This record gives sequence, C-alpha cells and structure tokens, in this order.
Amino acid sequence: MNSLKHALLRLVVTLLLVAVPVLGVWTWVKAEDWHLWFPETVSTYGAGIDHLFYVIMWMVTVTFVLTEGALVWFVLRYSGRGERRAVYTHGNHTLEMVWTAIPALLLIFVAFSQMKAWSTVKMNFPEDGPYTVEHPLMEVYGSQFDWRVRYPDAQGNFEGADVIEVPYDIYVPEDTPVVLRLKSRDVLHSFFVPKFRLKQDAVPGMNIPVWFEAEEAGDYDLICAELCGWGHYKMAGRVHVLPKDEFERWLADQRAALYRTE
Amino acid sequence: MIVRRPRTAALLAAFALSSALACKLEPDTPELHYSLNRAEIAKNEDLASDPAAQVQLEGALEFLFGTPKAPAFLALPEWLEEDPPFYPSFWGEDHVRADEAAWGRLVESNKKAYREQLEAIRTGNLERVERPRYADDLWARWEEVRGGLPEGGPDAAYSDPFSGEEGTWRQSAAAVFENYYPKLATSAEFYRQQCYHCHGASGGGDGSTSRFLEPRPRDYRRGIFKFTALKGKAHPRHEDLFHVLTEGIYTTAMPSFRRFTDAQLHGLVDYVRLLAVRGEVEGLMASDYTPETGIDFEGLKANYELVMGKWRAAKDAVITYAGPVPEITPERIEHGRTLFMTPGDKGGANCVSCHGTSGRGDGASAFEIDPVTKLQRRVKDDWGNEIQVRDLTRGVFRFGRRPIDLYRRIYAGINGTPMPEHIGFTVTEGGQPHPMSEEDIWDLAFFVRTLGVQAAHEIPHEAGGH
Repeated sequence: MNSLKHALLRLVVTLLLVAVPVLGVWTWVKAEDWHLWFPETVSTYGAGIDHLFYVIMWMVTVTFVLTEGALVWFVLRYSGRGERRAVYTHGNHTLEMVWTAIPALLLIFVAFSQMKAWSTVKMNFPEDGPYTVEHPLMEVYGSQFDWRVRYPDAQGNFEGADVIEVPYDIYVPEDTPVVLRLKSRDVLHSFFVPKFRLKQDAVPGMNIPVWFEAEEAGDYDLICAELCGWGHYKMAGRVHVLPKDEFERWLADQRAALYRTE
Repeated sequence: MIVRRPRTAALLAAFALSSALACKLEPDTPELHYSLNRAEIAKNEDLASDPAAQVQLEGALEFLFGTPKAPAFLALPEWLEEDPPFYPSFWGEDHVRADEAAWGRLVESNKKAYREQLEAIRTGNLERVERPRYADDLWARWEEVRGGLPEGGPDAAYSDPFSGEEGTWRQSAAAVFENYYPKLATSAEFYRQQCYHCHGASGGGDGSTSRFLEPRPRDYRRGIFKFTALKGKAHPRHEDLFHVLTEGIYTTAMPSFRRFTDAQLHGLVDYVRLLAVRGEVEGLMASDYTPETGIDFEGLKANYELVMGKWRAAKDAVITYAGPVPEITPERIEHGRTLFMTPGDKGGANCVSCHGTSGRGDGASAFEIDPVTKLQRRVKDDWGNEIQVRDLTRGVFRFGRRPIDLYRRIYAGINGTPMPEHIGFTVTEGGQPHPMSEEDIWDLAFFVRTLGVQAAHEIPHEAGGH
C-alpha cells in the first residue's frame, strides 16, 4: 500500500519536473505564433542586432542542452545502487582548464563579434546624409511625463523663434539616415523604439546624438524605458515614418502654420 | 486520519477560518461620491455650522450633476427648445451634430483609431474585432449590433438600433465605431484612470499625486482655466480645453494625451466641464446660503443658468486677428522693447515690473513680503499657490510659441494670475496717452519672441526699471 503511494508520488513529481523544460521548449517553438517573439524590425541596423541575439541564443542553447544532458547522465549513471562505497577524488586539472578556457573563448568571441553592431548604432553616425551630428533633423526632449520634439527653423537653427515644437508625434523621412539629439529636462528617461531596435538613455545635462534609418513607412511606438517617476507609464510617443516628399510637405506645413492666426 | 494528526487539523482549521474572515473583511468598493469644497463652505459661517444644510447642498448638486458613477448634466427644458437646442455636453446625449466640420474630424479620427476593427468588419472576420480600452459603451453597442446579425449575412438589410436608419448590417456595424462619442459615465471612468490621481474626484486639484507637483494641478471648481484664446478672462471654450489635452502644458506635469482618440478627449473635456460647473455652482450656493432661504430650488436654478451662461458665452470671446501675422521688422521689435522696458508710471506697458529688465521673471513685483513671516516670497495666484513669473529667455511658453499664441497671451493676460489684459491698457508715448492697440500687442509679442533667442547678456539694460 505504502510503496504504491510512494511510486505514485514519485511519478507525479517526475512528470511535473519534466513538464517545465517541455513547456519551455514548446513556448519557444510557438513564440512567433503567440506574438511573444520580437516585433519585425524596420531599421537598417535592426537585423544586425537581432543576429547578435540569435548567435548568443544558440550558444546558450547548445551549452544548456549539453550541461543538462550531463546532469541527467550523472544522475542516472551514479545514483545509489547496491553496496558501492563513495570514492574520494581530488579533481582533474586538465578538465578544469578545459571548462574554464571554453567559456573564456566564447566570451571573447561574443565581445569581438558585437563590436561592429555597437559601433554602427552608437559611434558611426551618418556623415554625408542630409542630417549629421552637427546638423540633426530634430531634438527630442524627455520630460516628466511626455516626449517633445523640436524641429529647427528653415536655417537649421534650434535656438530661433521659428522652431517647431510637437509633443508625442515624431515625424521622420523614410530611407534617410536620421540624426537626432536626445536631451532630458529633468531626470533619466530612455528613448526606446522597439521596431527600430533602438534604445538610448536621455541624461539631464547631456546632449546625446542618436541615429536610425527607417526602411518602411508606418507608425511605430516610442516608449520610455527608464523608470522616471510616478507617471512613467504615461510617457508614450509615436514615430511616424513618412515617404520623403510627404515628410517635406509636412515640415513645410508646420512652418507655415506657425504664422497662421486662427 | 485528521484526528490522528491534531497539528495538521489545527492548521487546516486556522486556514479555513482566516480565508473566511479575509473574504468577509475585504472592503466593499467604496461608493464614489463628489465631496463638498470645504474651503468654500468655511467662508459662510451659517452653512459651516449647519450639517443638515450641507447635506441638502450635496443633494442639490447631485440633482444637477449626478454622481461620479452616473454623471449627467441637467438639461433645462428652455435649453432644449432653443434653435439649435443647447446640450451641455459637446454633442449632447444623442450625438446631435451641431458642428458638421468638427463631427467630420471626429469621424476621421475614429476611422484611424479603430481601423483594425473596421477592417475586420469589412472583411467579415468578426472574431478579430478587438475590444478597445476605456470605451465600455462602445463595446456594449457593438455587442448589441453583433447579436443582431441577420441570418442573411452582413450585407442583409438591417435597421440600426441607435439611429433607426435602414441599411445593411455591415453599415450599422461600421457606424458603431465610426460615429463613436463617449457617454459621460464612460468619460468619468476614463477621467478616474488618467486624471483622478492629480486632479481629484471632484476636480479640486487634490489627488494623491498632487502634492508632489510644482506647479500644482488645476482646481477646476472656480471655472478659471489659465490658458484660453479668449478675451476678458472668459470661461474656456471646449476647444481651449481640448487644446490643453492634446498639447499638454510643457514644463508642468500635465502631459499631452495624444495617445488617446479624439472622441475620448472630447468626452474628457465634457466631464472636466461638468466638474468645473458643479464646483462653481457649489461655490455660489455656499456664498448665497442664509438660514432663512436655505438651499432653495430657485436659487439653484438661477446659479446653474448663470454659470452655464458664462461657459456658453465663451464662443463669442475668441481673440481673432484678421489676416496673417504682420511682417516683423526691427522697428516693430524695437517698439515692443520700449513698451516692455518702460514701467507703468512712466507710461509703458509695465512688463518689466514682473518679468525684469532681462526678461528672466525676476522683476520687483514678482515678489512680495509674507505678512506673517515678513520674509520675501513669490506672488500668489488666485488658487493661493506661489507663482514662478515666466522666464521669457528660455523660450518656453506654456500656451504655445506661435506668434498668435503670444499675441493672445498678451492681449488677454493669464486667468487667475497677476498677468493682466493688455488690450486697451493705457500707455503714454511721445507725451500722448493712448490705449494699446492690436498693433502694439503684436510689437510686444515680436519682442518677447526675440528674448528666447538672444542670450540674456545681449538684452539691452539701459532702458527701464532702474
């Protein structure tokens, strides 16, 4: 009677433990169907960043399977059986060297393979496009609790009286490397456009250049990704990527609207 | 088995008892109610010392405006007989389309906001019609129409249960989303989700986050809103409040609410107006109260009509300027500078007295001596909060930075603050006193615009207040 109960209990616990990895793998397989995976990317460097993620994910997957396999094998192979006595071992120097060296090499590989993506996004700003670090398309201010965009006047001057200021809605041209200056009026904020794979902190007192090139016209979510106070959840925005001529028309409209009197 | 394990039994019993208690002790959802404005009540000693009259006042206000769960303007019969009928809500309860252009913009905005639902209706894939947020009344209508899907399919004849129009089912289904305008109760719930934590249940600017904010959130109950495009410190138009919701008030905690649909924001304006009218009627009733008259119905109706009349008058007070912004010339900027820099007693527009000789908001009149502490403090506004006089050199203008925005600000002043109305303000130039004209106000606006561009040390100091 008791042994039957124990066997049942053991079966239930084993099934529960097995369910965890099975469900994990199943979720991973179905992630795309269930909209749990990345949203599509529409910026030029988005694919590179996704690639980095996949490289690391495969490295982790292989390591995970190998180590978990070893764990299971050890449990089965060395579980208590018969009257065998425990053995004392001092370890294996070569083995330790190997399992230290392999992760170190992997880390070095990761460190070097990400350099290009990092420098593309954060260091190599467009130099010959219409917008550069010296002459950005716009300034984006994070403030508690909304985003404000400032477009310069027709002379490219951000201090002029004819600057255009818009809350929430950010308009940019399609297929054009866009540079913006990111600033904060008060505390840390983070400019995060998931579909561009772009995330950059806005730091009070700093003037941080950010660039992206959107390949597809459309409206994309902008959110604040740095807890900035009680109204953090309110800090949404929308990036509108317009075809180039439509964008130029929009900007001209805004400049004309400054001098209307209705 | 349990009897053999007294400790287990005791644990189980304790668990059962505590769960039962926990369910029992769970607080009921408190009934939402508007609270009386204690500051106004305290001003009238008779009312303050008569709790029964206060209850009567609460009841009278509930008669006019309902409760937070079921808010409604009381529409007076004479309003509905007017031509066109006047509804206190922007489009009334029945979505009367008084303003076709505004209604057209609303429908366009709805089409954009609910494009996925409309697309699903167009393709007949009704499972994909998703429930939008903060729009329970929209969803209730959709479920009613959905339940009435004729056997002949979406394109079969169908009589719209709301408008009564005959057409196909698909047209009615699309109209539910395209013609959506929230009911006041839905807007009230939306207000509680988005505005309540700063502006409070009764619109007193006393929500839980309000005390962390500088400047403080607006107390609607006086009917005074700082930023309008109107003459004579009038009550705001629907459009003025809508403008504040879409643009936000930069450099304050009031964000832009563009992430919601136009219909939702229009509904919110209706609800804010309800709170403001309610607060103002309450203030009038509190000051009118005497033990002899009590809270009487005639007085209530008169006050309600008086307050609503002020709101209705707003549409006639818009500051307009015929034609485009005049040409900006150095002479005009220089004239604006002279007006700005010359103090009132020397015949100027007196801006310098508060905004200071460098435009930084540090003029002598920006400060006063506290009568109690004898210490210097900033001047206060009508709500009793200390004011930071605008530093014009920073280029931040809360009502907007377009020339017409500055023009309107100088023209009408800022409600509830010492910033006065300037049109008609007497200035003396060349020994000739004359009231300030529209052109003088443009000159001032042009000068103020340059302050945001020039560094403070470049701004001339020779004229003015010293």
